[in-house]
Amino acid sequence: MNTQGTWIVSWFDLVGLPKDLPHWVYTLVSLVCVYLFVVIPSAVLMSYLDRKLTADLQARIGPNRAGYAGVLQSIADFLKLLQKEPQFKWGLRENLWLVSHTMALYSTLAVLPLGSLALLVDTEMSAFLPFWATLVLALGTMLLGLTQASVPGWFGGIRVAAQTLAGSFPALIALVCAGVRAGSFKWSSLVHSQSFALWGWAAISNPFQTVAFFVFIISGLVILAIPPLDGGLSQSDIHGGVSSYLHGRRLSLFQMGRLYGFFFWCLITVVLFLGGWNLPESLVSHLREGESWIMLSFLELTCLLIKTFFLMLVVTWVARVNTRVRVDQITDFSWKVLSPFSLVALMGASLWAGWRAL
Amino acid sequence: MSQNYLRTDLTTWEIGPYHGALPVPMRLKLQLDGEVIAHAEVETGFLHRGLEKACELHPWKSLVSYADHLDPEGAVFGEIVLTNAVEEIFGIPVPERAQCIRVILCELTRISSHLAYIVRMAKMAGSETIIHYVLRDRERVLDLFELLTGARFSINFLRYGGVRFDVTEGFIERVLELCELIRIRIKEYNDVFTYNHSFIKRSANIAPLSKELIRHCGITGPNARASGVCFDLRKTYYGKAYDRVEFEVPVGVGALGVVGDVHDRFIVRLKEVSQSIEILKQLVETIPSGEYCNLVDNKISRAIRGEAVSRVESSRGLLSCYVLADGKDTPARVQFTTSSMFNVKLIPYLISGVRIEDLPVVLASLDLSVAEADK
Amino acid sequence: MKNSIFKSVIVYAKDVFFGFWSILGSCLTAFPYILRIGELRKEVTEGYPDPVSSKTADDLPARTRGLLFNDIDRCTGCHDCAKICPSQCIKIEDEPGSDLTKRWVSIFDIDFSKCIFCGLCVESCQPNSLFHTKQYEGAAYQVSDLVASFGRGQLTSEQREKWALIRKSDQNKKGLS
Repeated sequence: MNTQGTWIVSWFDLVGLPKDLPHWVYTLVSLVCVYLFVVIPSAVLMSYLDRKLTADLQARIGPNRAGYAGVLQSIADFLKLLQKEPQFKWGLRENLWLVSHTMALYSTLAVLPLGSLALLVDTEMSAFLPFWATLVLALGTMLLGLTQASVPGWFGGIRVAAQTLAGSFPALIALVCAGVRAGSFKWSSLVHSQSFALWGWAAISNPFQTVAFFVFIISGLVILAIPPLDGGLSQSDIHGGVSSYLHGRRLSLFQMGRLYGFFFWCLITVVLFLGGWNLPESLVSHLREGESWIMLSFLELTCLLIKTFFLMLVVTWVARVNTRVRVDQITDFSWKVLSPFSLVALMGASLWAGWRAL
Repeated sequence: MSQNYLRTDLTTWEIGPYHGALPVPMRLKLQLDGEVIAHAEVETGFLHRGLEKACELHPWKSLVSYADHLDPEGAVFGEIVLTNAVEEIFGIPVPERAQCIRVILCELTRISSHLAYIVRMAKMAGSETIIHYVLRDRERVLDLFELLTGARFSINFLRYGGVRFDVTEGFIERVLELCELIRIRIKEYNDVFTYNHSFIKRSANIAPLSKELIRHCGITGPNARASGVCFDLRKTYYGKAYDRVEFEVPVGVGALGVVGDVHDRFIVRLKEVSQSIEILKQLVETIPSGEYCNLVDNKISRAIRGEAVSRVESSRGLLSCYVLADGKDTPARVQFTTSSMFNVKLIPYLISGVRIEDLPVVLASLDLSVAEADK
Repeated sequence: MKNSIFKSVIVYAKDVFFGFWSILGSCLTAFPYILRIGELRKEVTEGYPDPVSSKTADDLPARTRGLLFNDIDRCTGCHDCAKICPSQCIKIEDEPGSDLTKRWVSIFDIDFSKCIFCGLCVESCQPNSLFHTKQYEGAAYQVSDLVASFGRGQLTSEQREKWALIRKSDQNKKGLS
């Protein structure tokens, strides 16, 4: 295994498991650990914070019955969804959606950049890998929509496919802007080129990078159909589109997938543009000299997650205050506004980087 | 638009009585050409309660409690149109003070109804925050109803020859407080919702209502005024207490799109709320003193027969009532003609050519009340 | 040619800027609600049923039309309320009692599953025995629990005979005096 994966061995030491197991065991255990201890708690915390923030904005209280001040509300909702009966029997095509959905989303678990030591995949193409996964996810959602025997499903499927195509182009170009600044697409070098302080972040360093940051986050909302740009899954006219006939456990799978997609897109934005997991230099050198890897990775993960939650809450705030955008207006916006801005940002960022290299 | 070399067919989609896109229970049979509606048919009658027949079976005294269930959100308009018709048949004069109190209730109801309209539009457009702000302020109006009449929605307050109770002590101060509050809040609504770019994109240039359609279907009220047809019964015909106040009638000018589109219908109602506040401020300070009800115990004479038609400008449009009395304890016929009946007739013409995603917004912009349309 | 391209670029840039500016304005208008700044931005919901309400019964207006209550000692059994009720939810059974001025109301049931709280019965009650309370929580687990009974109960045959004698003697007294 590559040297970056040494963190899992030191955790194994702590727990007392043998060190010379085959590599795939280490990978499997680390994927499961990441899912259980990072993704699920963040999803629970994030959905609770989302509802409380929305309630604060709307001059009301929000969840306050389940647990003290409503902290167990997401768990209560999940348990309620689990015990609902599905109405339709699933055939081959729906199970195909399930397989592709699961593969697409949870394959990105291996690529998540969670700290300078917690990187399983740190190659020159690692920044592009989550992006391909979103394309596969969109294909799966379109299949799910088209297999339904009803108009909401067909419309939902086609709209999701149109949105993803429209949002992919500016997202890619913005990603290339970030890579141009850092010099490569490895997670470690992308984060290393930024620093903890606010003026070291990629989004602030240069006005073209600021434009690229906004384009990246907005086109992420377009690709993944996150409110306010969720025309493909619109509730008011097609009852949620592809999810209009999902109930119970399948609906919770779908919602979990959407929440996970939102989470990892914000995580990647933070790593690319908002300083990643950088801690103050003095603290990092102190921890590295003292060889306290666990403390270092824990602090880096906390810093990263705090920034991610903050970004997710800002997107939630914009979503709740503004109206939902119509799906053809979303694609218009993506092609006619986001794409030119991203191309201008790329040109400017390349010129800037080239100027500095002279 | 489908091209000729690619063979496409129209998709049929029936939206049943209950659907997220429909503001009221009704059935829509749509023929879709891609995402654009090519043809539509409407079927209503799901909330038919037999209101007019029930009015024939009950004595005169309890008719008012039926009339205020005609449009639950605008209860006083049903009552006022019924009591005006009955007063005309039996020749019962109404004192000035009672007329003023009736007009104050009318304007408060207009404010409440238009605030509920904002909530429905925002829900269909997808913006959740403004809904809670507006509902919070509508609660203040309903508190005023409870103070004056005893109930929030079905007020059952008007009687033949006046009103049931007199104005209570703190009522006038609270009306003035409410006017000030709504004036501040309208600025907030404009900041958050009305001039928000995403709402303008959802509502400007969509489903404009032309004057030919207005004439063909008989549309009145704010829907017609938004297309430039300036007809307001309060100014032209009504009299009663409206000629002692000065106010303007807002007309749609298409500032952010074409004349008569969805955004215009929205703006006209917001401006009407401001004008209602002006009317309230002028009226409340100058209520004439005197009797609040002329007829004690609501004794309607049996010797008089006759028929009468009365009209009122309700918050949704023109509301008219025909009453026929032939010397019995109960009326022989009561008939209500409401504006929502004509709005329902308008729907198939208006939504042809509109994208399916705009359907909820267009239907909500017409301010339909199925209770009025189906009676 | 150059003019029109330049103009369309300016129009496009203005459109993008206006869109961004208005969305930012909406968000900033809603932002103070998170921090609860000012009197106008307090939260308006309460955690019912803990507490049930921050308002007491005295805070409701005097004319509030809550659940009905009949003071059976003043009720004369005239049936005016049952006749006027639009939904016919009042059931009354009465018979002659010991008092000549009023009847013995053995059953007086108001069915709150049908009552529309219009207040016509209260308006038409001559002895003012029927009135609205300010209670608004009338939910029950069974529909049969929604019927409120105010009657005095059925009479036995001995009571009927005894009271018939009392009535006769009262009428004789009135006839003599």
